[in-house]
Amino acid sequence: MDLPALLGAIGHIFAPWTFFMLFLGTSLGIVVGAIPGLSGAMLIALTLPLTFYMDPFDAVVLLISMYVGAISGGLITATLMRMPGTPASVMTTLDGYPMARAGQPGRALGLGITASFVGGLVSWIVLLTITQPLSILATRFGPFEYFTLIMMAMVLIASVSEGSMVKGLIAGLLGMLVSMPGVDPSSGMPRLTFGFYQLNGGLQLLPVLIGTFAVSQVIKDCMDRSGVPERQEMKSSKVLMSLRDLRKGAGNMLRSSFIGTWIGILPGIGASIGSVVAYTVAKNVSDTPEKFGKGSEEGIIASEAANNATVGGALIPLIAMGIPGSVIDAILIGALTIHSIQPGPTLFLTNNDIVWGMIAACLLANILMFILMTSSVRYISGLIYLPKSFVLPIVMMFCVIGSYALNNTMFDVWVMLAFGVMGFLMEKASIPLGPFVIGFVLAPLGEEKLRSGLMMTAGDLSPIVTRPFPLAFTLAAIGLLIWPFISERRRKAKAQAREEG
Amino acid sequence: MDRRPLIEIGVSALIALICAVFLVQALALPPGRFEPLGSGPVPTWTAAIVIACCAVVIVSAILSLRGKNLAQAVQREFSGGYPLGGVMMMAFTVAYVGALHLKLAGFGFLTLAYLLLMIMGMEGFDRRRFWPAVVLSAVAAFGAQYVFTEIFVVDLPV
Repeated sequence: MDLPALLGAIGHIFAPWTFFMLFLGTSLGIVVGAIPGLSGAMLIALTLPLTFYMDPFDAVVLLISMYVGAISGGLITATLMRMPGTPASVMTTLDGYPMARAGQPGRALGLGITASFVGGLVSWIVLLTITQPLSILATRFGPFEYFTLIMMAMVLIASVSEGSMVKGLIAGLLGMLVSMPGVDPSSGMPRLTFGFYQLNGGLQLLPVLIGTFAVSQVIKDCMDRSGVPERQEMKSSKVLMSLRDLRKGAGNMLRSSFIGTWIGILPGIGASIGSVVAYTVAKNVSDTPEKFGKGSEEGIIASEAANNATVGGALIPLIAMGIPGSVIDAILIGALTIHSIQPGPTLFLTNNDIVWGMIAACLLANILMFILMTSSVRYISGLIYLPKSFVLPIVMMFCVIGSYALNNTMFDVWVMLAFGVMGFLMEKASIPLGPFVIGFVLAPLGEEKLRSGLMMTAGDLSPIVTRPFPLAFTLAAIGLLIWPFISERRRKAKAQAREEG
Repeated sequence: MDRRPLIEIGVSALIALICAVFLVQALALPPGRFEPLGSGPVPTWTAAIVIACCAVVIVSAILSLRGKNLAQAVQREFSGGYPLGGVMMMAFTVAYVGALHLKLAGFGFLTLAYLLLMIMGMEGFDRRRFWPAVVLSAVAAFGAQYVFTEIFVVDLPV
């Protein structure tokens, strides 16, 4: 661990302008995370064009702090309105809202905020300790190691995404396919451009992202006329957790934080699954499992500690290997690329300041999130009742500006709209959007590695089975592909045995 | 999660069609001259696998519809919500982007008109909301124009 570099990055963040970016990012993230229908991915995708003219360090600090804020903000709506502000807070809704209805909204929020803070802190410690050794290991990876790692990541994303695995594969591979038009880097000839010269440079990440995450969500929100759910009033803004409560929930908090961190490290899985797994484990080991779903303190702590812990965890594969741990990390990869920073294992060597800036921002944004949420949650909670009819048109305006600003071309705006409709339809058919975006980001790297590997071996694919890492990654990918079928058969066999027995 | 077999069939067929177009284009790509793989096989295989996966989803959706009343399935999948809201939003947005593309007016004025129409449309053209909508639209449209052109130095359309 390079302590001077970390301290230097922390010092840099305390420069007035950079600290303002941290403050702005964290507070905007909390507010957007709290507003149902707006998500952290949407906020970060729309902010990306604004960072073009920023110093890369400031841009990274702004985006990371938005990430931390957005995951935490969902807690407010989940607790006060029974509507998860972000998908990551779904499990918090189960216990946060009943506790708030029972007259303890401050306590429910206090537990959630403290658990979020501890989760963020634990995952930050893991991020700090294992990222650099992992990146050193990854520098030994050749093209076949990288190619098989990316394939394994894609299968993993597909196998754990919501809905069926086949739909996850459709999403991931479709994302890969639409990233392929453009000038082929090896031959220098355009491919799959359908005669559009605008496609020679390929489809740009930003319009695809904004369309897939922001426009599709706006279409969905415009079609939803459900009224505002019952609101639980906050009588006091004091939501600090007592030391006694902290001691009581420490074990659950730490366990859930480690679960969240580990799930965050796995590529593309994200915060919602992290919180579901931690919640289920907490319920299974609890002395009072019957309280879960009826205002259980352990439930709130498990869900919030885990979803915030996924942030630090997901940054680990991004920094160490250039593989996104979540959808927002895929957007962060886009942000780094826009600033001419190549994510990957050599990032520690080529852009040491940026890496430590990301790690430091993750810590400071967590601390700031804790301060902001404990001190002003009462006021932030007022913002979540803004009428949709006033918010959504302005979001659409930003979508148009954001897509246009990339290359000053209306073609990108049309691309954004097309992907918005596509994203909306995919969601309607329960085809997950996360694998789509991650496939879009990873495909060029995967293809480049496969082709350079084959050039090195004159077309021989045998290193995939003769080298240890590619073999391990390939076996893991095959295992992940067939596991759902095996577990389904076992489930059916058990059910049949139960019926017969 | 509730399955929506009819939507699954429609969307999967659309994706398969898009992939088929990619597949035809990829098959026409020349083989590699300086490297073993060339630019065609990766998109070809990717498109082919997606088409196969779409076929699996379509078959599974058709099987799940077996023995069910189709009219009831249509009713269940396409009722609820407010589809007109989404259609209106897309129609206004396509018109707005088209107007920007054709440079029919300045960014500020077009955005003001777009925001006003969208807000009023979503409010069911409630007259009581007109003035707040005008103020918000004007502030957002001209504010964004000022911020993006003067501060972020982005050349907005028109």
